[in-house]
Amino acid sequence: MILKLPVVFKRKERRIGSAQGKRQYDLPLSTDEGTVFLALLIALMTFLAIMAISGSFALKGMTSRWADGLDKQATIEIPAQKADGSFRDDEAITKIQNHIKSALQGMPMIQTITILDEKDIGKMVSPWLGEDFSMDGLPLPGLVSLKLRSATEKDIAKIRETLTAIAPDIHLDTHERWLADLFRLSGALRLAALCITVIIGFTTVTAITGAIRSRMAIYKADIELLHLMGARDYYIMKQFQRHALILAFKGAVIGTSIGLILLLLIGWVAGDTGAVLLENQGLGGQQLLSILCLPFIACAIAALTARHTVLRVLSLMP
Amino acid sequence: MNLIGIVKPEQVQAFKNAYGVHKTVIKFEHIGLRYSVGPEVLSDINFTLEPGSFHFLTGPSGAGKTSLMSLMYLGRRPTRGILTMFGQRTNEMNREQLAAFRQRIGVVFQDFRLLPHLSAFDNVALPLRIIGRPEKEIQNNVSELMEWVGLGEHSRMLPPTMSGGQQQRIAIARAVVAKPKLLLADEPTGNLDDEIGFRLMNLFEQLNSMGTTIVIATHSQKIMDQLEHPRLVLGQGHLRVEEPKGWIRRTIEGVF
Repeated sequence: MILKLPVVFKRKERRIGSAQGKRQYDLPLSTDEGTVFLALLIALMTFLAIMAISGSFALKGMTSRWADGLDKQATIEIPAQKADGSFRDDEAITKIQNHIKSALQGMPMIQTITILDEKDIGKMVSPWLGEDFSMDGLPLPGLVSLKLRSATEKDIAKIRETLTAIAPDIHLDTHERWLADLFRLSGALRLAALCITVIIGFTTVTAITGAIRSRMAIYKADIELLHLMGARDYYIMKQFQRHALILAFKGAVIGTSIGLILLLLIGWVAGDTGAVLLENQGLGGQQLLSILCLPFIACAIAALTARHTVLRVLSLMP
Repeated sequence: MNLIGIVKPEQVQAFKNAYGVHKTVIKFEHIGLRYSVGPEVLSDINFTLEPGSFHFLTGPSGAGKTSLMSLMYLGRRPTRGILTMFGQRTNEMNREQLAAFRQRIGVVFQDFRLLPHLSAFDNVALPLRIIGRPEKEIQNNVSELMEWVGLGEHSRMLPPTMSGGQQQRIAIARAVVAKPKLLLADEPTGNLDDEIGFRLMNLFEQLNSMGTTIVIATHSQKIMDQLEHPRLVLGQGHLRVEEPKGWIRRTIEGVF
């Protein structure tokens, strides 16, 4: 059976008028000069699509990692300066921190309560002020970090109520606003990536349509001859469709290979430089699979475009 | 069993259409043809070609022979009149039907119209591949025909590298390879020497004797005199049918 396959394949090739070695397409499509141009164009389009899609994936991953880090967390800030303009000393702040801890300790929505001391605050501000910066004499706020079991509106309102009872100027930050901004920005960028991918698709369709139409104009006399010999539109269309499919496959494989190599390089560079924002930017299995589907999608687009264009143009011929 | 009243006339016609029972091959009724808004190049053409007939189409240059041929091979549609092919009106045919009808017609074009990037063999094989014949049959039939037209050793040559006469033989082989019901040839012996020319005319005669309807457009009085077949004579866009002189002589001899 396996030995027979090449024979069957060749026979099928001949039937659609394309067996290399035995004979070429009925129309001189494979020797056309525009062939290389079209393959390169599809390679470029596939490459750009891979960049746009993988950028979108990376953005999604980054946003969800940041969101995961901040989700169900809250920070309580005890301002160093009171509403009347006077300052709280360290002792007063520590007292309030302990008071907050004991007040919140038994609440069911609270998982852990961590009082952040001066050393912890120093670590947080060190990227901006440096490791050796002395904070002695600075009016630092008191911070308490909360990890929540649940963070419904009701839970947050209950915590706020408890904090207000301790001191009305205590501020509870649930990072909601920041996260909302992050999601909005990420959503906008991903929409832009989607638009770019769609534009790439349309450009590919337009380029293939133009190429097919120009070839049909060049070989109009030959196509008419095939018609006069009784060739059906489907017979002629199959040759163009197969030609477009092969070109698209070649182009898409080249584009995908270059795209994947570039993604590997980006991952390597990001990992090597220790870029915090690009940490763990490797594509997941599903995402990689989506990218590897792109050559096949490009082939399908090329074949369907060729099919539609050829049948449409042929229907206008006598 | 009396089928009258059981089988409707349109069903009988549909059966005849489907199986091609004794249909007139071509019927021109008041056919006119004009290009764009110009004058009519063919006016009020009326004639009928019965199955198995052999006609020459002749007339001075510019009389419209090629235009008439193009109507016969369904290369264009008439601007007026009714053209019936194999029992069916062509103006009622859709694209699929047109293709199916064209498969029954073999055409030798005056300018050969060979595909230059295909070998001589593949050019001849093209009609068989279009109708989907098995490759083995194609190999056998085409090789045999290539031998017959004297180009067996040139089957891998490309048309641009061949002489005019060789190209013409390829064009003729391509037209007859699928054993068409109707063969139309536009000046088929124009570039051939007498010997090859008469061999090809003999091929046409053989095809005709097997039932193929043949129309040959030619200026050659010699060929028309040698093969006594009716002539469709075109002049100033009009057509008349002439019987061969020999036929008149033989008919008179037969009567007396």
